[in-house]
Amino acid sequence: MATGIPLSSECKHVFDQIWRLKQHRYAIFRIENERRIRVEWLGVREAGYEEFLADLCRAGPDQCRYAVYDYAYRQQYQGTTGTRLREKLFLMLWCPSQAQIKDKMLYSSTFAVLKQEFVGVGKCIQATELDDIHRDRVENELCWDRED
Amino acid sequence: MSGGTMLYGGDEIGALVFDPGHHSLRVGYAQEDSPKAEIPSVVGIGAAPDTNLDPETKTDNNATPNNSDQRKYYVDTNYVNVPRAHMEVQTYMKDGMIDNWDLFEKVIDYAYANVIQSEPEYHPVLFSEASWNVRNNREKLTELMFEKYNVPAFFLVKNAVLAAFSSGRATALVVDSGATHTSAVPVHEGYVLSQAVVKSPLGGDFLSRQCRQHLEKHGIDLSPVYKIASKDVVKERDNARFTLRKLPENLTQSWQNYMLQLMMQDFQMNVLQVLEGPFDERVAAQIPTVHYEFPNGYHQDFSSERFKIAESLFDNAMLGAGQLASTSVGMCDADVRLSLFGSVVVTGGNTLLQGFPERLNRDLQLRAPSNTRLKMISANGSVERRFGAWIGGSILASIGTFQQMWISSQEYEEAGKSQVERKCP
Repeated sequence: MATGIPLSSECKHVFDQIWRLKQHRYAIFRIENERRIRVEWLGVREAGYEEFLADLCRAGPDQCRYAVYDYAYRQQYQGTTGTRLREKLFLMLWCPSQAQIKDKMLYSSTFAVLKQEFVGVGKCIQATELDDIHRDRVENELCWDRED
Repeated sequence: MSGGTMLYGGDEIGALVFDPGHHSLRVGYAQEDSPKAEIPSVVGIGAAPDTNLDPETKTDNNATPNNSDQRKYYVDTNYVNVPRAHMEVQTYMKDGMIDNWDLFEKVIDYAYANVIQSEPEYHPVLFSEASWNVRNNREKLTELMFEKYNVPAFFLVKNAVLAAFSSGRATALVVDSGATHTSAVPVHEGYVLSQAVVKSPLGGDFLSRQCRQHLEKHGIDLSPVYKIASKDVVKERDNARFTLRKLPENLTQSWQNYMLQLMMQDFQMNVLQVLEGPFDERVAAQIPTVHYEFPNGYHQDFSSERFKIAESLFDNAMLGAGQLASTSVGMCDADVRLSLFGSVVVTGGNTLLQGFPERLNRDLQLRAPSNTRLKMISANGSVERRFGAWIGGSILASIGTFQQMWISSQEYEEAGKSQVERKCP
């Protein structure tokens, strides 16, 4: 299921900058005029998770968005005290519960396009409340997948 | 896209959305907030005029009963609910799918003539369907819309997908409790995981039968409103005092049952409630009673029985809703289970029973692996809960870029009805 709304080349370019070139920490995307997906915010490499959340909600608490975040976290080796730095890219569908039903529909039904185009995403996260995307919870979800 | 693009290009789309269910067919224009009409999924079928009941209509040469259909069909509440001699009532739905195509066409004809009031060839049509709809049925509907109604474009979407999307989820477990059944349908990234769909016959109609049995057992007269000419005000639990209306003779059993069912539906939506935990007489007795007045004027308070009847929806011996949902999740890949438990979308008219989502939450929590984060999503308004799939379809069909997704009449002519399997997953 898709809506036919395309991803602009700008989005693909930005994704590449994050995924391969590690130029940004995150990007936030919005659907413009129900026609195309555009980049709305970019986070510098040094930006933290709190800044990301602020940018995600900057348009208002009832606005849906997509986001890509290159998440770095320390993972403990099993049975040891040693840790290693891991990076994992997640793709987020953000549809706050107070958003208009029209926007929810638009963003969730177009989500497949991003998933398909953004090859290299390690995890998809869908969220409707800030509680869902609290740092601990997200980290938990990322660690939960044991592959790679 | 070519040919006729003008009709549905850009913002000129006047697409129509049809959402068929066992209780009713929801019909309306895309982009609107709610359907224009909700037409009951039954048709009244009058007696053929050549049965010689009416001496005035002479049966002449061409009136052999079988060579042409001379029966009269009655569609929509205002026509079906009128007492008429020999009028049978029949549904066109079976197991969530369109089954009697002749009757279904009558209703679609009616919808175009009386609800849409426009010619079918000007409007693309989006239909919702049950997640377990079969290929044969999908192709038949595609064929019907293009061949008989000459629609310029057509699309078919699974109602569970629409329900998930309209609550802002691409992945969700959709628990839909409607008139004839309750189903659990896992949707992953916008696609139904069809091998894990689970359904049970516990729905609104089942509750109606339970209510009827219960009331009859207690000697409560169940005269539907059409039988009543006048009634007196009586004290609570006093015998009803009412006079009967003069009715046509030969009312059919199917029509009387249908009218009784409507009455029971009103009763159950107003009286029944689901307890937070398994039925317990002592707990139920402490909850305030509900007063209900029957069409004949009889009225009384209902207490614990209103929980006991609703309890059957969660009866695990009969695949109750909680078990249904957990069975469905259990049949999915381990890596999507967490996401499904995290987005349980509750929809369907039956879930409007007070306490339904809360109870489902509790029953599911007991069956989910420990420390699973469970989340129930149910639209607040009754309009959204009943018309969730229709509203989703209405938005989808109105998105400008969606025009490239439709099966156009040209594509249909070139590739035939099998296009539906290719374009509408």
